[in-house]
Amino acid sequence: MSHTRQVLFYAPKHGNTEAEWEDGAAAAPADGAGRGPRFAVADGATQGFGSARWAQQLVAGFVGDQGTAPELTADALHRWAADMQDRWRDDPRLAGATDLQRLKQATVGSFATFLGCELRDLTGPRPRWTAVALGDAVLFHVRGHRVVAQFPPIPADEFGSNPDGLPTGAAGLAEMIGRASFAEGDLADGDLLYLATDAFAQWVAAADLRDRRALWTTLAGLDHPEAFRALVADRRAAREMVNDDVTLLRVRLDRRPAEHLVVCL
Amino acid sequence: MENYRQSVSRADPGCVVILLDRSDSMKLAWGRTGASLADGAALAVNNILLDMCIKATTEVNAPVRHYFDVGIFSYGARVGEAGEGVESAFGGALAGRGLVPLPELAEHPMAVREEPSIDLMPVSARMPVWVDPVHGHRTPMCQAIAVAGAHVFDWAAAHPDSFPPIVVNITDGMVTDSPYDGATLQDWARRLTSIETNDGATLFFNVFLSPFEVTEIVFPSDPGGLPPPGPDLFALSSPLPRPMVDNARVDGYDVRPGARGLAFNVGRSTLLRVLQIGTRVPDRVR
Repeated sequence: MSHTRQVLFYAPKHGNTEAEWEDGAAAAPADGAGRGPRFAVADGATQGFGSARWAQQLVAGFVGDQGTAPELTADALHRWAADMQDRWRDDPRLAGATDLQRLKQATVGSFATFLGCELRDLTGPRPRWTAVALGDAVLFHVRGHRVVAQFPPIPADEFGSNPDGLPTGAAGLAEMIGRASFAEGDLADGDLLYLATDAFAQWVAAADLRDRRALWTTLAGLDHPEAFRALVADRRAAREMVNDDVTLLRVRLDRRPAEHLVVCL
Repeated sequence: MENYRQSVSRADPGCVVILLDRSDSMKLAWGRTGASLADGAALAVNNILLDMCIKATTEVNAPVRHYFDVGIFSYGARVGEAGEGVESAFGGALAGRGLVPLPELAEHPMAVREEPSIDLMPVSARMPVWVDPVHGHRTPMCQAIAVAGAHVFDWAAAHPDSFPPIVVNITDGMVTDSPYDGATLQDWARRLTSIETNDGATLFFNVFLSPFEVTEIVFPSDPGGLPPPGPDLFALSSPLPRPMVDNARVDGYDVRPGARGLAFNVGRSTLLRVLQIGTRVPDRVR
């Protein structure tokens, strides 16, 4: 087993435009220097300023698209997050900010929950995932129709009560990094990893208790962005899913390399 | 189904109205601040308007989001015309306007100037100003509720699915125009709080300012022990709905069952905190 295939699904809050999706998601292949494939999702705080930029900065930075990707240790994450804060604060797009926007950037800033994952030893004896989380973005490790691991292990009725995440301000960063949780799990051929931000993750956690076979069959079979959006709209209408930005990054482990690149138009 | 659950969004914005006493007694010094009640009240109103604009600011090159329509109506001395009456308290480009969408409010402060800290710290900051301190004449509170109520009625009819309107009355005195147009102050308050959206009845909160440094009473659940006009204001004030109870508890207030939206004998910083608690609604905003 050595190959990954990933697909990203997302949707903004009902009533918002596409550009107002304030989550972030990113993926990158192995770097050829020992680092495995990386995946990340983040959820920017709605009440913050520049939250979409912050969430997207974090996921891009974690997979190595902006600056140096961090090792998965607390010290390395602290240095990396401080660099991300500098980049967010010095964004050249802020040159056009109004006084009110500058005030909010300086006094409120932003905040994002974060989940980053790296796959290691995919061609070796012990393929596994290793991940770091701050807040209630969740990784579900699924084999067949069964959850092998959920990280962080948040029960469905406890989403929204976890205050952890990465701030744009330097003051609270060290404390938050100290609250980061780390985990890893062994992988097998055919396993699926799902990385989801809170609204979708909460629904998944609840749906897994109701009918796990139906849930994981549905999620494994998602094959088009519109199918995902229809699922989200349906569950929102049924009041099973909170009207929040939603993101689902699905990673499939496979012995065979992908034969096709699928682009949905 | 429980009321007061709707979150504020651009699709279903909220409505905040502040009734601002500009009677003659508002000239009295507010405790040891060295400034008048009118100065402190205007400062608190400008601060809460700035708070609302900040919350609705999300990104560079994006407009302030239309989360609220806001009205400030003063009663007592008038600025637009001489004499006593009720008018929009906005100055500058918004003078004479009733309910103003938040993006327009953010665009049109009457000035940006150095203002003192609301909590009496020895600092000041440049901030936008929408209303000025004014005082004179008597206290036509009934007329103020009548004027604001007409705006609130139209707004609720146009926004049936929104969080209900929130009306906060800031005063230091006794009503002087009851009965007005055949109805007492209690009647006007009942008329105001009978205006509803699908999410509940209009909320009417009262904040009573005292020039003296006396014990503050915030969100009481019992009118017993309140000096005049406390019991009357208690009876006029809406019970605090769940979101505001949660807000108040987060801010450290011991809110008992049956607590009303009343703050009595408050200082300047408490006035702002009460305005923040009373205007913060469920916030999974979009």
